[in-house]
Amino acid sequence: MLSPIQVLCSDITTLSLEPEPFASYTEADIISTVEFNHTGELLATGDKGGRVVIFQREPESKTEPFSQGEYNVYSTFQSHEPEFDYLKSLEIEEKINKIRWLPQQNAAHFLLSTNDKTIKLWKVSERDKRPEGYNLKDEEGRIKDLSTVTSLQVPVLKPMDLMVEVSPRRVFANAHTYHINSISVNSDYETYMSADDLRINLWHLDITDRSFNIVDIKPVNMEDLTEVITAAEFHPYHCNLFVYSSSKGTLRLCDMREAALCDKHSKLFEEPEDPSTRSFFSEIISSVSDVKFSHSGRYLLTRDYLTAKVWDLNMESKPLETYQVHDYLRSKLCSLYENDCIFDKFECAWNGSDSVIMTGAYNNFFRMFDRNTKRDVTLEASRESSKPRAVLKPRRVCAAGGKRRKDDISVDSLDFTKKILHTAWHPNENIIAIAATNNLYIFQDKLNSEMH
Amino acid sequence: MPCDLQPPTLERLALKMILKGQKRKLDPEDVEVSEPSSPVWESQRQFVFSVSLNKYQRGQELPEPSLRRSVLIANTLRQITLPSADREEVQPPSGSLCRLHPKERESIFTESKPNSVLMGGDPMCSLNGSALTNCYHSGDSAVTTTGDDEDEDWGSMSTDSDFSLSAAISSILTALDSTIDGSPQAAPRTPLRSLENLSGSSERGSAWVKHGTRAGGVSWAPQGEEKVQESCADVGKPSYLNDIMMEDVFQDVDSSLLERDMGGLGIRSSMVGYPSEEELICYLPPFPPSSSSHPFSLSLNSNLKCLPSFSSFSPLLSSPSPSSPESASFSSQNQARDGFELEHLMEILVES
Repeated sequence: MLSPIQVLCSDITTLSLEPEPFASYTEADIISTVEFNHTGELLATGDKGGRVVIFQREPESKTEPFSQGEYNVYSTFQSHEPEFDYLKSLEIEEKINKIRWLPQQNAAHFLLSTNDKTIKLWKVSERDKRPEGYNLKDEEGRIKDLSTVTSLQVPVLKPMDLMVEVSPRRVFANAHTYHINSISVNSDYETYMSADDLRINLWHLDITDRSFNIVDIKPVNMEDLTEVITAAEFHPYHCNLFVYSSSKGTLRLCDMREAALCDKHSKLFEEPEDPSTRSFFSEIISSVSDVKFSHSGRYLLTRDYLTAKVWDLNMESKPLETYQVHDYLRSKLCSLYENDCIFDKFECAWNGSDSVIMTGAYNNFFRMFDRNTKRDVTLEASRESSKPRAVLKPRRVCAAGGKRRKDDISVDSLDFTKKILHTAWHPNENIIAIAATNNLYIFQDKLNSEMH
Repeated sequence: MPCDLQPPTLERLALKMILKGQKRKLDPEDVEVSEPSSPVWESQRQFVFSVSLNKYQRGQELPEPSLRRSVLIANTLRQITLPSADREEVQPPSGSLCRLHPKERESIFTESKPNSVLMGGDPMCSLNGSALTNCYHSGDSAVTTTGDDEDEDWGSMSTDSDFSLSAAISSILTALDSTIDGSPQAAPRTPLRSLENLSGSSERGSAWVKHGTRAGGVSWAPQGEEKVQESCADVGKPSYLNDIMMEDVFQDVDSSLLERDMGGLGIRSSMVGYPSEEELICYLPPFPPSSSSHPFSLSLNSNLKCLPSFSSFSPLLSSPSPSSPESASFSSQNQARDGFELEHLMEILVES
């Protein structure tokens, strides 16, 4: 896929909440999750302020055969509000941790959004017609004086300006003691799971007052706690299988048919530590920040601090492939530990055909690895390099003091405050969404766009 | 941690270790290449240890620390401290209540030890089980917490409070012996997160309040009060504690009790006669919202010697700490009454 990436969205300034290049943004504007729906028509983003913004891809115009479908704002709503836990005297952040779309089953779209404690199911529906010609009430809705009614009429539906309505359909609350880090919809389209640091719960989409705990790694004595759950996901088509990752770098595949409580894993994926690279931070950098099943269901993609790994479900002993995302940081781990960057949680993504994986890095760089050709590319998501229809230039990071080509950037010049933590790939096409702090960039493969 | 005063004993120790690393002009980046037995590795280890300790403590100060981060830092610390060689560098200061053997240090994550950064001994004392418990329990919510979770909270707090308080007392009194400018500042304790933590972590907070009611204006403990203030103010405590002015707290205080107590304290107080309630209040410094500088640090030098012990104000201690000679001046029968007044004051604080 790694042909030049063309900037798809023509109006990046409207996507970002601060049009001026150097204007400051509020923390509430920081994008915290990005997710395409199952067709790729809709793209949802959640931010720290608890808002969800949904973008819709415009249908390609027939008058301009070479114009790509661009993403424009479809709907914005406030999903979560800050709450207060009165017993613990703690504030519950409204930041949206994850959004997951449900497969579309009718005209409406449904998505799940979650903050640290509460998951909500939202219905996104369109209204482009309204009934007119009621007998008992007038156009403003006021009850008519019956004496003025002389004849009966059948109300008809007349077109109106498109209105997108978003309404909360379910609220799944009070089931998590710790912070929810993942939600995943099951392929049975009836259940979903939510995972926090120590437990995973299984919900039915229609039942809000009950959930089943399927994984519990909380030790009897909290002082013995050495491992937390970092991510969890259902298998794409085996409704009984799910995987969860831990802070110790392990993956556990569990089968819900085996037992009600899946504390005992069916498979444990763990790579033995390389003694030559052992350091004080070995455990921290081995902590898995994201896990994704491939679309085929055969592979797992994991991201830890320095690498992205592809695992074969049939091989537990070691990953199939390991990709170094930013190995030049290995010698900087101490500084990164000091400034807390070592705790950053990067997400990863598969492309539609499972041939390319993508993940973010620092300095607003993101990386893509072609599994077949073994080629990789580093690109930057920034205003300067993202003019509409521009082609992104590959970037290179050189070691400090090493040979430096033009446009290369030195490791010491990297901006660690600019990090690409959240990325998403269109399920079918080569369109990617990159969240860079408060900005959303949408890129499309140039080859792809020229074909349309 | 920004602080005008020198950091407390524990912090000073951590700072020493950081400075040690700097003195050697170590490049902290090459952490993975040194041999475990080399001095460079040892310096690296100390550096990482001090940084980890600071992070851990700062994480504890947050109202709700990230569990993943806390676990990773704790594991790193555990990994660093497991080799039991070179313990000479981490000598606890004299008078400390905590002197752990290497074996105890190794098991420090599993045993429930008193949670006190003020213990002023081995820095590992702060990384005890109950500290981790407090950290990990911060995420517990009322609705989903099982009875076991709540029991864990109560259990850890109630058994630790006695020892932690006497440790706190001794540490504070040790600090008060030095000059103000050079006196170590106590690291913030576990913040008052919720009601069930009040019995443990609020010892100092309530003791401070008690100080204000009973000790009189002159026999005020600026050092301890500053510490409590800082711990109360800097660690994101619930705002109702910060916003309470002393007048609000003392509205329900029976001044007749004060007069009786002032009589008992007359020996130690440099004031003549009994101060009125208003005078008492005027001597009590206002509660700064979030201030690391303490305006009273320079003005109350003379009062340092008149400090009553915190131990007498604790309803949970059966006897005053033996290391605090001032406490001998308080009779034990005051403690029961202290307990009731303490509860009453805490009710006021909670209600407001």
